[in-house]
Amino acid sequence: MHPNRRTILAGLAAGLSLTALSAPAFAADVTLNVLYNMPGFTKFHQPLAEAFEKANPGVKINFLAPAANYTEGQAQVLRAAVTGELPDVYFSGYNLTAELVHTLEPRGQITDLGPFIEKDGGQAFLDANYTPNMAALGQIDGRQWGLPVNASSPILYINADLVTEAGGDPANMPDTMPALIALGAKIHAMHPDIAGMAYDISGWPDDWLWQALIFEQGGTLVDAATGKVAFDNEIGLNAMKMIRQMAEEAGAPTLDWDQARQQFGAGKTGFMVSTPAHVQTIEGLVGDRFPLATATFPLDDKAKGGVPTGGNSAVMLTQDPAKQDAAWAYLKWITGPEAQDVIVRITGYLPTNKNATGAAYLAPYYADHPNVETASKQADRSLPWAGYPGGDSVRIWRTQRDIIGTVMRGEVTPEDGLAQLVRETNALMQ
Amino acid sequence: MSALSPRRWLPHLVLGLGALVMLLPFYWMILTAIRSPSEIFDISLWPVPKHFAGIENFTQAATSVPMARFMLNGVIVCGGILIVQVLTAVPAAYALAKLRFPGRRLMLSLVIAALCVPMQALALPLFVGLAKAQLLNTYFAMMAPFLLSVFAIFLFHQSFRSYPDEIIEAARLDGFSELEICWRLVLRGSLPSLAAFAVFSVVAHWNDLYWPMIVVTRTELAPPPLGMLFFSDAETGANYGALMAGATLITAPIVLCFLAARKQFVAGITMTGVK
Amino acid sequence: MTAAFPAAIPHAAPRRDARARRMIRRGLAFAAPAAVLLVVIYLLPLVMLAGFSVTDYQLGALRWSFVGLKNFAAAFRDPVFLRALGNTALYAAIVIPCGIFLSLGAALLVHGTRRSRALWEIAYFLPVTATLVAMATVWQFLLHPTLGPVNAAITWLGAAPVSFLGTPALLIPTLALIGTWQIIGFNMVLFLAGLTAIPKDLTEAARLDGARHPVDRFLTVTWPMLGPTTMFVAVTTSISAFKVFETVAVLTKGRAGSETLLYALYLEGFDYSNTGYAAALTLIFLAIVLVLSIGQTLHLEKKVHY
Repeated sequence: MHPNRRTILAGLAAGLSLTALSAPAFAADVTLNVLYNMPGFTKFHQPLAEAFEKANPGVKINFLAPAANYTEGQAQVLRAAVTGELPDVYFSGYNLTAELVHTLEPRGQITDLGPFIEKDGGQAFLDANYTPNMAALGQIDGRQWGLPVNASSPILYINADLVTEAGGDPANMPDTMPALIALGAKIHAMHPDIAGMAYDISGWPDDWLWQALIFEQGGTLVDAATGKVAFDNEIGLNAMKMIRQMAEEAGAPTLDWDQARQQFGAGKTGFMVSTPAHVQTIEGLVGDRFPLATATFPLDDKAKGGVPTGGNSAVMLTQDPAKQDAAWAYLKWITGPEAQDVIVRITGYLPTNKNATGAAYLAPYYADHPNVETASKQADRSLPWAGYPGGDSVRIWRTQRDIIGTVMRGEVTPEDGLAQLVRETNALMQ
Repeated sequence: MSALSPRRWLPHLVLGLGALVMLLPFYWMILTAIRSPSEIFDISLWPVPKHFAGIENFTQAATSVPMARFMLNGVIVCGGILIVQVLTAVPAAYALAKLRFPGRRLMLSLVIAALCVPMQALALPLFVGLAKAQLLNTYFAMMAPFLLSVFAIFLFHQSFRSYPDEIIEAARLDGFSELEICWRLVLRGSLPSLAAFAVFSVVAHWNDLYWPMIVVTRTELAPPPLGMLFFSDAETGANYGALMAGATLITAPIVLCFLAARKQFVAGITMTGVK
Repeated sequence: MTAAFPAAIPHAAPRRDARARRMIRRGLAFAAPAAVLLVVIYLLPLVMLAGFSVTDYQLGALRWSFVGLKNFAAAFRDPVFLRALGNTALYAAIVIPCGIFLSLGAALLVHGTRRSRALWEIAYFLPVTATLVAMATVWQFLLHPTLGPVNAAITWLGAAPVSFLGTPALLIPTLALIGTWQIIGFNMVLFLAGLTAIPKDLTEAARLDGARHPVDRFLTVTWPMLGPTTMFVAVTTSISAFKVFETVAVLTKGRAGSETLLYALYLEGFDYSNTGYAAALTLIFLAIVLVLSIGQTLHLEKKVHY
């Protein structure tokens, strides 16, 4: 039978009367409005929300149209704060969470998770689920405002053919940045039309890759005592020099990250640094063109060095007690081992819940997918991806990116570039 | 003149070369939509893929996001905008071109001035206004800033001005009402302009992601370009095949719309011939 | 204007007054809906922007204060804004002439064809319909220094490959070429409409008058008759050139100093939530565009009609 108008109307009417009948039974129903960034994340958010609804009858997850990226999501939440139409749960980029909290807290529009954690066992609850590094990603000014959902730190994507040809071992990549650059230079010397490496620091929309160069040398961004830039030293200068070497010696292109990824996929780059969230996409792009390997990010300072952690944490914006309880359950679910297991398999992120790597969850998967496991190997050296104090981080990153770009292209010396970087960053932090 | 004289084929050659440049991006779009991920960055532009992945890509683009819903939203919003724009702009343009009333020059200057005002500049106040009126998350909010097209007023004003005054005078003497003169006589003389404007308006709003994403947070109301973002964002990276398949799906209705309007140009042109 | 109504003078005065009054009433009634929308959509928000522009309001902040004209003064010391000003001027300087003359050329050629006309119209119009979100990806690939077909053609011709989206000095010209690509089809359709409106007998008369060469006929008949269309195309092309935003937002995101005016104020208003300052930038932007395009309109109007 073809559905005609009458059958459709009849169906609609039946549906409506059903809802009308069943409405009283679900009088305590809660609908959570949830906003996440990156429309591509739909592929794990949707199934996870369905599973959550099944396990928690009475709670409905209503996703708002996803924001294109973290910055736009932040802008959308700020606008909604002014009009009073905030989502109940928001997935905030780590680097922007501090600014979010500082704006929303005085307005009474964001909820401290402390009391909820207390109810579930306080510090013991946190310790049972998250490593201190991970938990710190959701802490602002010493209080827990968010729970970490996605976490990524930069890893190496390797064209095993090219690396082997240059005398490197894809399974055992150099573990310091200078040695890596030297390997890239070798590849570039053998094939002048091929980039030895890609480090698209001037193309990313934020300072993730700059922080990576500072952190891996054991440096920090901001001096807590003076409130000034803390890389106005050897570490900063060395970072600048290495950036210039990457372009000059290893032929690193100054493209934006999208074009850099296209080039890597075409087999025209020795290795590149990018987020583990791209694993699936890059595996697809590469196909059978060359064997793809991944490796952890190098550390020049093995004792103090680390990698910045990108991603987002779930924050609770609703102020309605009934919704808050449901939101807390949802936050625990999405950062719990089951959900993390799903997220890691779909995206390649590293799991934020330490129970997710166990035999019941990711261990067998990692055995089959070594490229996905790489990110989790550097979980213990993941440092928070901090914004700058003063609430102007986005502007600071943009300014830095352009200065770093001039150094990378060789228009400005590393010394002058660093001086400029320090001066402008300090000025913008005021 | 023989069929081989340069005057015959030279224009076609030039046009053909130009068309190659114009169409190259679309060629790559469609090529990518039928290629599998591992073939996408093969440097060759050979049209036949080694492995035809068109079905997978189009299925993914059409089913993994509510693409049909986005397109329906696009139709509703573009249709609503276009109708109101024409309804308000045609009489205004007629009045500005053919009637004398106080404030006419002021209004004309305001229209030209408003032409230069980009939507993005007024986004924040308009957003706040719609929020205060509790109208966020409605089709109306998506249409509101565009209900008046100063571009349409300007375009119709330009084209109505050349309509002969004597015919209007004669029609008035024949007892035509002013509304009839405006809609049935003068506008019919400007059908090419109407068709051009319709295409312009639909194209501009069909592909607009910026404003809808400010006033709409419900996925059910989202515009067609949002469908693209599901396949390409900074964190997950682009699924090129599905992205381009989606782009092809989104572009197709506009091309059809242009084809329909093109016939209207012809009709309008024939009318001018009759006159 | 008065010269258009010489026939009205002999009429009896009272009748003329009644007619004129009726005319005024009709004119007002016809213009009213558009006028109301003009006020609501354009003027009121502008007033609100003016209000924001003299404060240091940041979106979401609970406190703000009156800062007078400080925001305006700051704009002219803001390197990003000044850079954006220069970039927009460069962009317009490329897009306006290319967008007008290439589309006029295409329209003239297409107008001369018969059977293939539909084909050319569609081919040239297709870029107008492009969805920019997806086209960004296409351009990234086509212009890629090592993978893209454009550079393959350049190397085939013997030149060194060009990194269109990696060289700061080339960013704005590249965006301008894409802008031209996008606008040609639309302008061409407008020119075609204008060309078709030129009566055939006029061209025929010119031919009989001795304008044998097509170039002569173009200069004596077509070009003058296209005056109103050209003016319209010029004004709309300039305005869309000054309003360039989307290609910047999807292709360069203002990387390496490639911000344009509209993108700069979008950054302030939305990415940095700097509402007060963004409002001031918006007003400056509007003042500039207004002066330019009104000047252009008046200039062209004079040339076209008197």
